[in-house]
Amino acid sequence: MRYLLALLAAAFLTVLHVSVIPYVEVLGVMPDLVLIFAASWAVVRGHEEGAIVVLLAGFLRDLATSDPLGTSALALAPIVLIAAAIRLRAIETEFVPTVLVVACGSLAYGMISMTVLAITGQTVVWDHAVLRILLPACLVNALFTPLVYVPVHAFSGQGRVSAIGARRLTSPL
Amino acid sequence: MRLVWWLTAIAVVSLMSIALSERRTLDPVQNLSLTVTAPMASGLRDAARPVDDMFRGITDRGDIVRENRELKEQVEGLQKTFAEQQDAQQRVRELEEALGVKQGRPEDQLLAANVIAEDTSGLKRMIAIDRGSGDGLDEGMVVLSRGGSLVGTVARAFEDFAWVRLITDPDSTVNAQVAPGPPQPQQTPASDVVIPSTPTPVPGSTPPSATPAPTPTPAPRADSGEYVRGVAEGDLRHGLLLDLLPPDLTLAEDSLVSTSGLGGNYPRALLIGTVESVEQRPQSPFTRATIEPAAALSGLDTVLILLSFQPARLSGE
Repeated sequence: MRYLLALLAAAFLTVLHVSVIPYVEVLGVMPDLVLIFAASWAVVRGHEEGAIVVLLAGFLRDLATSDPLGTSALALAPIVLIAAAIRLRAIETEFVPTVLVVACGSLAYGMISMTVLAITGQTVVWDHAVLRILLPACLVNALFTPLVYVPVHAFSGQGRVSAIGARRLTSPL
Repeated sequence: MRLVWWLTAIAVVSLMSIALSERRTLDPVQNLSLTVTAPMASGLRDAARPVDDMFRGITDRGDIVRENRELKEQVEGLQKTFAEQQDAQQRVRELEEALGVKQGRPEDQLLAANVIAEDTSGLKRMIAIDRGSGDGLDEGMVVLSRGGSLVGTVARAFEDFAWVRLITDPDSTVNAQVAPGPPQPQQTPASDVVIPSTPTPVPGSTPPSATPAPTPTPAPRADSGEYVRGVAEGDLRHGLLLDLLPPDLTLAEDSLVSTSGLGGNYPRALLIGTVESVEQRPQSPFTRATIEPAAALSGLDTVLILLSFQPARLSGE
């Protein structure tokens, strides 16, 4: 049931991503709600659920974009690793780790996407992409994290207080 | 350890999928996906547009932006007409030089399509449209704006949908030509276009009508009114660059850039845009110019596909 909900949520965010988000341009880039969703899920629900949601969200995203199918799933995969690594430190909140995962995940996502595009024969302007797209995307995605994190957190059945703090995380490793 | 297995599984599945996608095996899946999501995406785009205008209106620019957009379309149409007139003059001259050459571009047959999605990665400049190979689209076909200026080409055609590569995409190159001087419509009224004067023969050569063999093309001069050819390349930094122009070219800003027709991938005399700035470096073998595209590429909602023009397949097929 939870995966069905995750699938529907990811599908909705994917449609938003290609239809409405082009109108939301901040610092020259557009927020990636699908990435934020995958990161939030991986932090809030754990890395195993996160891995499945990353796979689903990645494929759904590619079905609606011009990227080769599988690019986003591959590029989102580091989010699972980052989410697990961040859980190594005990922190009193899930929100800050989510923001960190989103920021680092955006960077990893961009680098892997560009690598796949370059391998598949498309032109990639590396310096421009890193400076003008990837770094601003880290910041913008982090800023938009609450929009997706709060619903994901609410769905996971945790209280308002723990959305901000008072919940100790432990390492799954 | 389980985490490693999960990541390995994701990587393997993704790489297999990328390989299949590149072989076009998964096209039906992508077409089905777009079929399911397109109505919702179109609805959301339609709903988002007024909201976008509203936010622009908060800064007291809503009406101005809308009016500006309409005026830009009008200007675009006028520029296109002007570019066509200039090209017609040039063409008549060339036709007179090479007697027997017939009109190479039949009457245009256009197909309208709605834009349903945009690539938001920032790494590419692509849009999705709700027409596909089932409507007669093929990869490489030319896409125009409502005003008739060049928007891009069909990059990938599914059964019911297609992705269009915009001219500002880094993978887009268009053989272009530019009239070096600034547009001066008062000097070239339409009535003067019909019958040009007798062409000036190239010194030392026989008349063109008697020599079907190619004659050397004189070097372009900035003040001669002749077109200068170059290549318009998409660029993530500047949007659109006109490159490979002669190094000593004097190029005025606002000069009109249109397709040259060389290579056969684009018909001749489609308006691309106007020269925004010119870059000349002493050590550079070419002059480079930044082009302002005539079509408003960021806010496209409807485009036209040129069905009557079959592009030359130069790559592989």
